[in-house]
Amino acid sequence: MENLSAYVLLALRLLMAAALYSFLGWGFYTLWRDLRQQAKQTIEQRAPSLLAVLLEGEEALRFTAPEITIGRHPSCEWLLGDDTVSSQHARLSFHHDQWWLEDLGSRNGTRLNGEPLSAPVVLADQDQIFCGQVGFTIHFENAPREEE
Amino acid sequence: MNISRPIRRLLPSSLSASLLRLAALFLSAYALGLSLSPLVRERGLVDLAGLRLGHWLGLGVWLGAFLLLDRQTRRLLPNRDPLLLPLAALLSGWGLMTVWRLTPYFGLRQTVWIAVCSGVFLLGLHYRKQLLAYLRRYKYVWLLGGFLLTALTFFFGTNPSAPEPRLWLGFGPVYFQPSEILKLLLIIYLAAYLADQQPLTRGWLPLLAPTALMTGLALLLLFVQRDLGTAWIFIFIYMLLIYTVAGKRRVLLASLFLLVIALVAGYELISLVHQRVDIWLNPWADPSNTGYQIVQGLLAVASGGLFGRGPGMGSPGVVPVSHSDFIYTSMVEETGLVGALALLGLVAFLCLRALRISLHARDAYQRYLAIGLAAYLACQSLLIIGGNIRMLPLTGVTLPFVSYGGSSLLASFIALLLLCLVSDDGARRAAPTRQAQSTLVLGNLILACFGLAAIVTAWWTLARGPDLLTRVDNVRRARSDRFVPRGALLDRNEVVLNQTQGAPGSYQREYLVPALGNVLGYSHSNLGQSGLEDGLDPILRGEHYQPALSLWINHVLYGQPSPGLDVRLSLDAVLSQQAASLLAGQSGAVVLLDAASGEIIAMASAPAYDPRTLDQDWPKLSTMQDGSLANKAVQVAYPPGNALGPFLLAASRAAGASPELPDDLGFWLNERYFGCNRQPQNVQSWPELVAAGCPGALAQLGLGMGGDALLSLFSNLGFYSAPSIPFEIAAQNMPASLSRAGAAATGQDGLLLSPLQMARAACTLSNFGELPASRMVLGIERVDGDEHWLQPESELATLNALPSAFAASMAQQLGNNPLGIWELGARAFDAQGRGYTWHLAGDLAVQGQANRCVVVLLEGMHPSLAQDMARALLASD
Repeated sequence: MENLSAYVLLALRLLMAAALYSFLGWGFYTLWRDLRQQAKQTIEQRAPSLLAVLLEGEEALRFTAPEITIGRHPSCEWLLGDDTVSSQHARLSFHHDQWWLEDLGSRNGTRLNGEPLSAPVVLADQDQIFCGQVGFTIHFENAPREEE
Repeated sequence: MNISRPIRRLLPSSLSASLLRLAALFLSAYALGLSLSPLVRERGLVDLAGLRLGHWLGLGVWLGAFLLLDRQTRRLLPNRDPLLLPLAALLSGWGLMTVWRLTPYFGLRQTVWIAVCSGVFLLGLHYRKQLLAYLRRYKYVWLLGGFLLTALTFFFGTNPSAPEPRLWLGFGPVYFQPSEILKLLLIIYLAAYLADQQPLTRGWLPLLAPTALMTGLALLLLFVQRDLGTAWIFIFIYMLLIYTVAGKRRVLLASLFLLVIALVAGYELISLVHQRVDIWLNPWADPSNTGYQIVQGLLAVASGGLFGRGPGMGSPGVVPVSHSDFIYTSMVEETGLVGALALLGLVAFLCLRALRISLHARDAYQRYLAIGLAAYLACQSLLIIGGNIRMLPLTGVTLPFVSYGGSSLLASFIALLLLCLVSDDGARRAAPTRQAQSTLVLGNLILACFGLAAIVTAWWTLARGPDLLTRVDNVRRARSDRFVPRGALLDRNEVVLNQTQGAPGSYQREYLVPALGNVLGYSHSNLGQSGLEDGLDPILRGEHYQPALSLWINHVLYGQPSPGLDVRLSLDAVLSQQAASLLAGQSGAVVLLDAASGEIIAMASAPAYDPRTLDQDWPKLSTMQDGSLANKAVQVAYPPGNALGPFLLAASRAAGASPELPDDLGFWLNERYFGCNRQPQNVQSWPELVAAGCPGALAQLGLGMGGDALLSLFSNLGFYSAPSIPFEIAAQNMPASLSRAGAAATGQDGLLLSPLQMARAACTLSNFGELPASRMVLGIERVDGDEHWLQPESELATLNALPSAFAASMAQQLGNNPLGIWELGARAFDAQGRGYTWHLAGDLAVQGQANRCVVVLLEGMHPSLAQDMARALLASD
């Protein structure tokens, strides 16, 4: 009896420690799972692909990157060889669930549906954009992620 | 709640329910352990009626309350943070069990408070749609109401446990502390006001002025009421909220700067702050009075060690207000560093969840509210935990969710409710915010502080703990003395001197030879140990000479040492008693040694005390300055005076020096003249001049030898080394040189010797010039039950101090042939002019025979008395 109760108490103490740390461990596991899920979500938030159709020649280009720089410089995603286009002319980007257009300080300006651009704006389907003398229309493709 | 539903429905497998089940498992194990603890403590001697059972009521109420709360929050707030409620449940349940363990009466009250607070939580859930908006809309009304309530304590304030400070409002048996609620109201006000000012277009003044005014008003109230702990929390909350809103690091730096100024000003101006800071800086200065709480708290933490003592197995109740301010130390004592880390982790986790909720909040108001609540939980927890472990000065605040106290628990539950509401209302995708960076900084700050608290706790439990626990004011030692038998002290013939009698839980020390009290010492529950009981404490207490496994098992199971081991001393009970009775009425000491082995056969000191009546004699004994508690044979040192003569003469002759006979037999030292002990019969004989104790002759011998030879003689005679016996004694340091050889040779120029040191030196004359090592312990009981004694480890090497032939001839020349002994009476004076009588004597060395030597020291001039004592002891067997 003398030692038995002491060993029972020891077992209870071990159980206490195990329960405490399982609790904490579970809490931290939840935190970690949360983080992982959030990271996954951020990765999966891929931009829907964007179709740009040039007014001259009806040439269509498809983009899947979330950020497209337009200009004459070779580093640009969309290389336009026109003289009225600056080397870094404008940027199309996808964030907050929308496509945005922004002028990068071009010499001849960017126009959206005839209006010159001064601040980033949200784009809609069928919008017409002029970078210098080069014009094109924008089409969104509703490609659900699961299909790809 | 429909009771007829199957119980299975109450325990669905959601995250919060699973965590609640783990919390319940932890608390059930705690409760079961607590019930068993009296049985373990008394080593199975308690009957089953002695088991502790009250806390099961608390556990039942806790379980019911939180199952209900979990069910309701899951139903009504489906998107809430699922970790909040289980975290709060575990913290409050752990606190509840700890309060029950400390004081069942408070446990019962805390149980009622848990039920009441759960009721308030449910009420808040009922108004979940309007609550946050209402709080925001009438922010000034709420805050002013809080001010009024707090101001009421000026007129009707009481304190349930002490006369001051009066921070509570009493309604019959219920006490309420308004400043706890004021804290929440201030957070709500600040969150609402700061959110109304968004975005910050109108500059800093409209942002800061009203909030600073309101916070200042609240602080003023608290300062007047001397509720400084809460005042600190207000300052921190305000500071951290403004920082997160502004998002500028310089706000944080500026407020830290202001805080330091406030602290310095408080230290200089407010006596309470001054006192608290002083205690924090050095609690050891007054460990029984002002530093008592913090020192006892640290002892509790140290006693916890790595794994803790187990529920109900420690002594956390020794710390004042352990159920409230010092609950952290109580929890660490019984669950150890393992529990402390988990507790800190839980509180830190709760604070970080609150910050996460703020990031996901729907609007600025809710965001600031969550940040304010996180700051409140973090600051208050860190202030009190830091105060408990001497990381910060002590402030009397409670540990949220954990400490005993209705108002504190209510404030914690309301904070929990608000956090649940904010988290449920949170946007699925948080809008961009300027405060994200400062919230992260805040989170890192909180984590760093909790990490620091963990490190400091680890330092006290692991690094400083073992050392701290040996302190006399650690009552745990005295408590374990009542439960673990202490080893006995036996004399060389195995006669019992001191022993322990009784049953576990009521062991008592018995002193069978009380006349030897000064030598053997006492082992007392309040006064600790002294004498050999102190020097041999680790063996008698069962800490040394034990198998590591049994030590470990006893430590883990009971938090106590193994049963102690008996020690066989070299003392002879009869001779020692005879020495003590010869000394009776005098003041001094006697030591009788075996000249060859150095075994201490008799030792006595006077005046003596009686260890059996220590309790009633202590007030008198502790104020007396006559050394009646000391063992003068080893713990007091005296000038040797002209007892040095024989050693000087023998050494001088051995060196071949033949100094001239002195013109003046006396000696001038420090403008005092010292003459011979008696008139020498023959002024031409060196031995006669030495025997007559003529200081002039001694000085002449010293001058003849020179300072260096004198120093090495003194060193060889063991004058600068402490005898290796289990007593706390310090020997004089060896000087670099003796500049005044003549004065040094008279034995009155600063050299001080204990009677034991003198006895060892005297033994060289009975031992062919060999200086024996002193021995007090002959054997230690074997753990395996073997009847033989275990020899203690000690170096027993003798040291040649004087050339054999010269020592023997010196003894012959001091010889008293009818008795077969040599003897020398000497006297000495200390710097204050007090006189001492030495008498050195010994058997004339005979090879192959047990020779003994004896030294008597008497305070005052009693040469013939000392001679009679020495002769009587040498004559007896």
